[in-house]
Amino acid sequence: MKYRMISFQYFDAYMNMAIDEAIMEGVRLGTTLPTIRFYGWSPSAVSIGIFQGIHNEVNLQETKKQGVDVVRRMTGGGAVYHDKLGEVTYSIIAPVDHFPSNIMASYELICADILSALSSMGIEAKFVPVNDILVKEQKISGNAQTRRDGILLQHGTILYQVDVETMFSLLNVSEQKISDKLIKSVKKRVTSVIDQGKATMVDLQRALESGFSQDRQIVQGNYTDLELERATVLVKEKFSSEAWNFRL
Amino acid sequence: MAKKTIERKIPGGKLIRMDVEFTSKIEALKITGDFFLHPEETLESIVSACVGLSLPIDKAYLTAQLEEIMLGSEAQLIGAEVADLVSILEEAVQ
Repeated sequence: MKYRMISFQYFDAYMNMAIDEAIMEGVRLGTTLPTIRFYGWSPSAVSIGIFQGIHNEVNLQETKKQGVDVVRRMTGGGAVYHDKLGEVTYSIIAPVDHFPSNIMASYELICADILSALSSMGIEAKFVPVNDILVKEQKISGNAQTRRDGILLQHGTILYQVDVETMFSLLNVSEQKISDKLIKSVKKRVTSVIDQGKATMVDLQRALESGFSQDRQIVQGNYTDLELERATVLVKEKFSSEAWNFRL
Repeated sequence: MAKKTIERKIPGGKLIRMDVEFTSKIEALKITGDFFLHPEETLESIVSACVGLSLPIDKAYLTAQLEEIMLGSEAQLIGAEVADLVSILEEAVQ
């Protein structure tokens, strides 16, 4: 089956989440191909998992002070700082029957494309269940998945460069969360493409496009006007609303 | 009315946080964390099954109720087990 691939573009946090949902609807209705998209966050943003308490996870005073948006994802998982200049985010949206029914197996399958991309850049990484990609013991990618109405969405970030000071000024990290980690210092638990060697953001984008193109028939494309219009409605009605973002 | 918050990181799994209000029964419960639950709506059913339970918690009964919910929804909980949810709730209301 053909996949549409959309190259890296910037959107704000609400639009990024809304586009994912709009494409899920399109794939379900058959009006759009399964899609792999790459994107950045402008302005920088924090996203939290669907089950997280916003006040528990985010220093809202600091996000406001720094002009960082905060959005709740449709997917589970943890709080993520999306630095405008620091990462590439991907989403893959396709019918669930393209993937194993076992959720953990499907994470591993999709993350294999990221491992392939990183390997092509000389970065040897490993998939660590549930949803992480590590270089040795340091996290370089986190991923999150949802399945709704027969459609799978998995999205995740690959860190290009890390501003740990900013990241941990915005995120509240629970002592419990790191209680079983070997590296107690949260600042030492993440790494990035830049930490691992010389590469540009464009190098990373290209490597990821190549990694996700393996074993798929790819059509390069762009967002449709219909998708962007639908996403704009979803931004207004859901993703920028207090009812959604502050539900927990 | 007593109020308590318990946070537990499941070894090799995810973090579960429960905010519970209770008297001689569970009056209100909020479950948050960085776990995954498919389908996500299952969490509402899990919380509903816990609210109204008399204390002390009948662990076997609650475990059976939650496992039935999981089975009925064909749900998958990633990063924790039903036993973890029951154990954390039991700790929260002690």
